[in-house]
Amino acid sequence: MTNNNDNTVPSQAAAGPAAQAAASHAAEVAEAREAEQTSGAPPHPLVDFWHYFSENKGAVMGLFAIIVIVLAAVLADVVAPYAPDEQIRTALLVPPFWAGGTGGYIFGTDDVGRDIFSRIVHGARLSLFVGLLVVTISLAAGIFLGLLAGFFRGWVDVAIMRAMDIMLAIPSLLLAIAIVAILGPSLTNAILAIAIVILPHYVRLTRAAVITEAGKDYVMASRVAGASKMRLMFDTILPNCWAPLIVQATLGFSTAILDAAALGFLGLGAQPPTPEWGSMLADALQFVQRAWWVVTFPGLAILVTVLAFNLMGDGLRDALDPKMKR
Amino acid sequence: MALLEMENLTVEFGSEKNPFRAVDQVSLTIDKGEVVGIVGESGSGKSVSSLALMGLVSYPGRVNASRLNFDGNDLLAMPQSQRRKITGSDIAMIFQEPMTSLNPCFTVGYQISEALKVHVGGSRQERRDRAADLLQQVGIPDPLKRLSAFPHQLSGGMSQRVMIAMAIACNPKLLIADEPTTALDVTIQAQIMDVLLRLQQDRGMALILITHDLAVVSEAAHRVQVMYAGQVVETGKVPDIFTAPRHPYTQALLEALPERSRGKRRLTTIPGVVPGVYDRPKGCLLAPRCRYADATCRTVRPQVSDLAGAKIRCFHPLDDAGRPTP
Amino acid sequence: MTTQTPQPLMEARSLTKTYEVSKGLFQGKGHVQALRDVSFSLFSGQTLAVVGESGCGKSTLARQVTMIENPTSGSLILDGKDVAGADEDTLKIARRRVQIVFQNPYGSLNPRKRVLDILAEPLVINTDLSKTDRTDKVREMMAKVGLRPEFAERYPHMFSGGQRQRIAIARALMLEPTVIVADEPVSALDVSVQAQVLNLMMDLQEETGVAFLFISHDLSVVEHISNDVMVMYLGRVVEQGPKDKIFASPRHPYTRALLSATPRLSEAERKTKVVLQGELPSPLNPPSGCSFHTRCPFATAACKSEVPALRDFDGRKAACVRLEEISD
Repeated sequence: MTNNNDNTVPSQAAAGPAAQAAASHAAEVAEAREAEQTSGAPPHPLVDFWHYFSENKGAVMGLFAIIVIVLAAVLADVVAPYAPDEQIRTALLVPPFWAGGTGGYIFGTDDVGRDIFSRIVHGARLSLFVGLLVVTISLAAGIFLGLLAGFFRGWVDVAIMRAMDIMLAIPSLLLAIAIVAILGPSLTNAILAIAIVILPHYVRLTRAAVITEAGKDYVMASRVAGASKMRLMFDTILPNCWAPLIVQATLGFSTAILDAAALGFLGLGAQPPTPEWGSMLADALQFVQRAWWVVTFPGLAILVTVLAFNLMGDGLRDALDPKMKR
Repeated sequence: MALLEMENLTVEFGSEKNPFRAVDQVSLTIDKGEVVGIVGESGSGKSVSSLALMGLVSYPGRVNASRLNFDGNDLLAMPQSQRRKITGSDIAMIFQEPMTSLNPCFTVGYQISEALKVHVGGSRQERRDRAADLLQQVGIPDPLKRLSAFPHQLSGGMSQRVMIAMAIACNPKLLIADEPTTALDVTIQAQIMDVLLRLQQDRGMALILITHDLAVVSEAAHRVQVMYAGQVVETGKVPDIFTAPRHPYTQALLEALPERSRGKRRLTTIPGVVPGVYDRPKGCLLAPRCRYADATCRTVRPQVSDLAGAKIRCFHPLDDAGRPTP
Repeated sequence: MTTQTPQPLMEARSLTKTYEVSKGLFQGKGHVQALRDVSFSLFSGQTLAVVGESGCGKSTLARQVTMIENPTSGSLILDGKDVAGADEDTLKIARRRVQIVFQNPYGSLNPRKRVLDILAEPLVINTDLSKTDRTDKVREMMAKVGLRPEFAERYPHMFSGGQRQRIAIARALMLEPTVIVADEPVSALDVSVQAQVLNLMMDLQEETGVAFLFISHDLSVVEHISNDVMVMYLGRVVEQGPKDKIFASPRHPYTRALLSATPRLSEAERKTKVVLQGELPSPLNPPSGCSFHTRCPFATAACKSEVPALRDFDGRKAACVRLEEISD
């Protein structure tokens, strides 16, 4: 039998500094060889993420559309030729330029002579703002409640989750209408109402992710190292729950925009003359027979934005969910 | 005549231009009633090769072989459907995770009887009797009662017995067992190996035993194939391969076992890790980790050669004393 | 070795842990005695192996020893103080002395943290060291376990299984504990990597004098690394003693069965296989009397009613009423 000399070490009896040095040397030799292998290590997580994300063409299109919408919203004052509430008395219900319209109104004008394109661009600002605010509020609250429920379990879990079940039992738009009816119709209250309505989804998602992660060994290891409950919850567990939450938040963006439009349409959200897509639809409803453009373009704006967020959400899910990876 | 003759089986993943060979020119011959062990570390391609044999490697994997004969049939020449018929009834397979190999929604009896329906036929009552008989054969007490049990009501050992019962339902000529006992406790492992070998002997069935556990193979198999990084590095008879391994990898693998280092304090190790997708060496795949490697080994890939009843892929096969020959 | 009687680093006396479980809706609560009357001592530089199959209480024992849970009864003496049922402040100090290495190197490292943060976490929680001091300590420890300190900025997924287990061992060593619980530390690794990690553990033990509580089902590994062995079955110790004694002449029928069931390479070492009949009983519903009697080839009527005590026999402790009769 042959011996691998560089790995043999003097017996325990002779254990001294020399033996230790030899031992650590042997380990280093092994490691140095091992290290060579790691140089071809897998790519950085972000690179990896983009690889999977970009495989989904729809998601990339969604991302592109969102970038355009965000740019339009940010640069609304530059992009829009008119102020959103500027009424041009000489140009009522002018059709879009390709349908015989004149005067540089790209998407035409509405019944009081406001440029629809300008209103939609400014509306994008509003819609994104609504989406962002709603998602931020419900995500923050949802993560907090979900963490509490998933981490402590027991009665905390029961109390939080049953409350969420009750909220889920009421049709969401109905609940939102009820909340707005109590608080009074305004954009702020609509945002609050929508945030409350979609809260249970985040709570459930966070709780499920927390329960899965809390059972893993690395959490146990932190616990053995003496980590406090706060540290375990926010530093150890939470960062590992982000993937499903990011996906849900993206999809939640579209839900929020849609719900805000619905509330606006019902007159419970943004109040005229705010250029909100939903209320634009509602205002122009009576002209739908005569002037198709007054409802089509706000409607398309809602459709494109919601679709873009949904497509990107799907792409994110594919890229972030390890189960979908090949 | 050999039951299975497989020559130069190759499985490739990845792009056409830059393929990754998970299985590289693996040849295997197995006679009726023979037990062949396939041994290797994780990533050695031992499971993929048998999946390829079963026709279970799906896109994006590409399977090639220069010869694939089973029981006198040329599997390469026949259409897919016919091949599936043969592999479905004459070759059976059991897997490592018995708990996830059974469908949790159906009773054990239903699942066995479905397997029988496809390949054997018979009335419902006949199939039920046969299922009970099969459970009896694999040593499940009170088989009639167990037929109506759901998989979650069974322990790991019981589930593996059920998997074996399903595998032998169609009287296969070849059974492939992929790490059949790895997930099980030691005493249960002994029971399962006992059942497998008894059935193999009673039925004159050929058995391919895929495992990482050299000791299991040494107790059960007639012949052993040692795989490394997708290639077969040594094929030899038991016990020769364990007493006088010809390939440096086999030797190193055996020496790494605590059983072989008894009395010594340190275990003999193989430095480094199995090469991954990105870092296949140019010459012999083992060269960076082989203690005998020379300049030739690092630049030229060795081919398989015959040596005293064994097949070796090495430029310097070891002699009886375990020293490399020039 | 020292001439005076060494003081144990840790001593467990009659550790018992009972869990309450609900048996299902409206069926009330059941009790699982996951750990019953387990006693042992751990000495500096020594390894005590805990051997057994699933449901034997190995993991429960690990949770009691690492003070994640409080035992139902019994005491756990660490540095001369009983920490079982101690207050949070005492536990916080005591926990630093006992660390753990897990079986699965893929689940035991936080995937969202760099190795540097993983290794520094115990220091952040338990010490007042500055950031640079912590980084220095981490790099030093990485070199010690055979990892390149430059890799500190990498994430766990960039390492192989063996390297991850080195990281896990390094984390366990960060607080300079006196006891490390190693819960199947090599069973998820390939043979060659397993040897590397075992060597590393033995080197570190030699260097630091840390005691290992080595939980494993692999008897050949246990035989190599341990000084003492404790064989458990359904929460109870069935045989306990020096490794040499137990491997050379197992006395309890369960130990015998385990040893004979372990596959061996060399024909000379293969014992006549005692293939145990039946399944492992559920810990929820353990058999009466000696819990092994349902599978024991030597069981008599007395075994069904009488719980055998752990008693001294032939240089070790074993719990079987028929030890004298069945020993040849």
